[in-house]
Amino acid sequence: MPEKKLHIKNIAKSFGGRTVVDIADLTLGTHGIEGLIGPNGAGKTTLMNLITHKLKMDHGQVVYYPNGEEMDISNRSMDEIARFGIVKTNLIIQDFESLSIRDSLLLSLSTRKYEKFYRIFSEGALLKETKAEIEEYLEYFHFENPDGHALSAGEKKLLDIIRCLVLKPKFLLMDEPTAGLPEDQTIKVMDLMKKKTKEEDMSILIVEHDLDLIWNVSEIVYFMAEGEILLKGTPEEIRKDRTVAVKYMGVSHV
Amino acid sequence: MAQFLSGYAMYTFSSIVVFVALATLLHLQFGLTGIVNFGVVGFFGLGMYSFGVFLIQYNIPYLVAMLLATVLTGVVALGLGKLILDLDSQSILVATLAIATVVEDLVITEKWLTKGVIGLGTVPFPFDLGPFSQAGYFLLALVLTVLLILYAYKLESSPYGRLLLSMQDNEPLARSLGKSTSRQKLIFFSITSGLMGLFGTLHASNIHFMVPRMLGPGVTFTVWIALILGGRKRILGGLVGTLATIGLFDFVIETFVPIPAAQSQLLPVIKLWIYGLGLMLILMYRPSGILGEKKLTNR
Repeated sequence: MPEKKLHIKNIAKSFGGRTVVDIADLTLGTHGIEGLIGPNGAGKTTLMNLITHKLKMDHGQVVYYPNGEEMDISNRSMDEIARFGIVKTNLIIQDFESLSIRDSLLLSLSTRKYEKFYRIFSEGALLKETKAEIEEYLEYFHFENPDGHALSAGEKKLLDIIRCLVLKPKFLLMDEPTAGLPEDQTIKVMDLMKKKTKEEDMSILIVEHDLDLIWNVSEIVYFMAEGEILLKGTPEEIRKDRTVAVKYMGVSHV
Repeated sequence: MAQFLSGYAMYTFSSIVVFVALATLLHLQFGLTGIVNFGVVGFFGLGMYSFGVFLIQYNIPYLVAMLLATVLTGVVALGLGKLILDLDSQSILVATLAIATVVEDLVITEKWLTKGVIGLGTVPFPFDLGPFSQAGYFLLALVLTVLLILYAYKLESSPYGRLLLSMQDNEPLARSLGKSTSRQKLIFFSITSGLMGLFGTLHASNIHFMVPRMLGPGVTFTVWIALILGGRKRILGGLVGTLATIGLFDFVIETFVPIPAAQSQLLPVIKLWIYGLGLMLILMYRPSGILGEKKLTNR
């Protein structure tokens, strides 16, 4: 079992007076794949955006433990946090209009040492360094035309996930990865995720409404409602829980 | 031969070359990175005038003055960029337009330094080559512009170019992948604006005598029209657009079309009409410019 990756202490976020996230204490990344479920508006995406600092928290602290060290990331910028190894895939489809699939991956794989205005001759070195890895991904996930744009919503969603994966995150947040993804690709993604969490120093937190997927892949599941984490347990425990049934699955009258 | 090389044609060619450079720099800022710089003349003028001041008022050697003016322009762009580059496009547009106006106003009011509306001169050619001084100057401007275009070519197929392009497309997404977009935008904006200043210093040699009237928004508009006409996303968009506007009117028509003296004063007005009409037609029927959309590169 991996060490914990994140320790969230007393964080809160409100929009226009309405508290969306209010969590006293939460430890994440103690298992390979963790699930986060809850009704719409529970604050799941907001919680993820607070961790990656896409949104600024009202107060609180996020402590990150890369390679066992301790690092307070509460006041780091979004791009710094991504470079530290905390990356999030997007629920709503995001893409770079002018980049082909291959270029998109090259962008993701390129590092600061190449990205200097005077390093205009470094493309060859980057291509050489990343070729094997890009080919591996393009072979595993079949794209219509890797040198063209991602065409379908499914391809864009998949590309979004791969762009994050090639960053080799230590903690990956996935916001509804299956929404818009074809079934066969979902299976491929999840197989790869399981493999990566086993073989590499990587933990994943998945937000998903496809509960079968959550029960299947998660080692531990958090249930969130009204901005708070109400429950934590194994998939079996959460599945049988009365609160979850009432608040989420709408079976209160059964 | 010598007469041709020091004549009006040479003057026009040099102006065209400088404007091609400005339009190419605007392509890098706007077409590639998405920074809406509507104050091209501000940086161009700052370079031009500070160069003139260094050279004439302080007797600093020519090339040193050029370098100082370029650096000064870049530093001003850095300061401005720090304040505005993370704002939305409209704010950047207004702020850059404002800085251009500030530069123009300061040149008019700070007479002790710039001699105000009386004008500042005379700026010589960079190298004293006798009858070939102007040709030598033209060659310098040409070489620098060609180098700039070659740089743009290499840049756009390099990791840095890809990063700039990604920032134009979707900056939050680029940030979420660990790219420090604010910092990179700032660096690139400062450098390209500094280079606009460098071409301003070059232009000073061409006109010899500077007056604040040259710092009006007309320069910015001309460069923008040229780039949009040529194709904002294309490296040669600035070149094609500049040739189709300034090249066509200030050289081809003025040199080869016999215009009666009585009508010649109408020419600048007609020129603006046709620029406007051309721009409208392009925006209606070919919004990505004469050269069209940029195609994806295949490897």
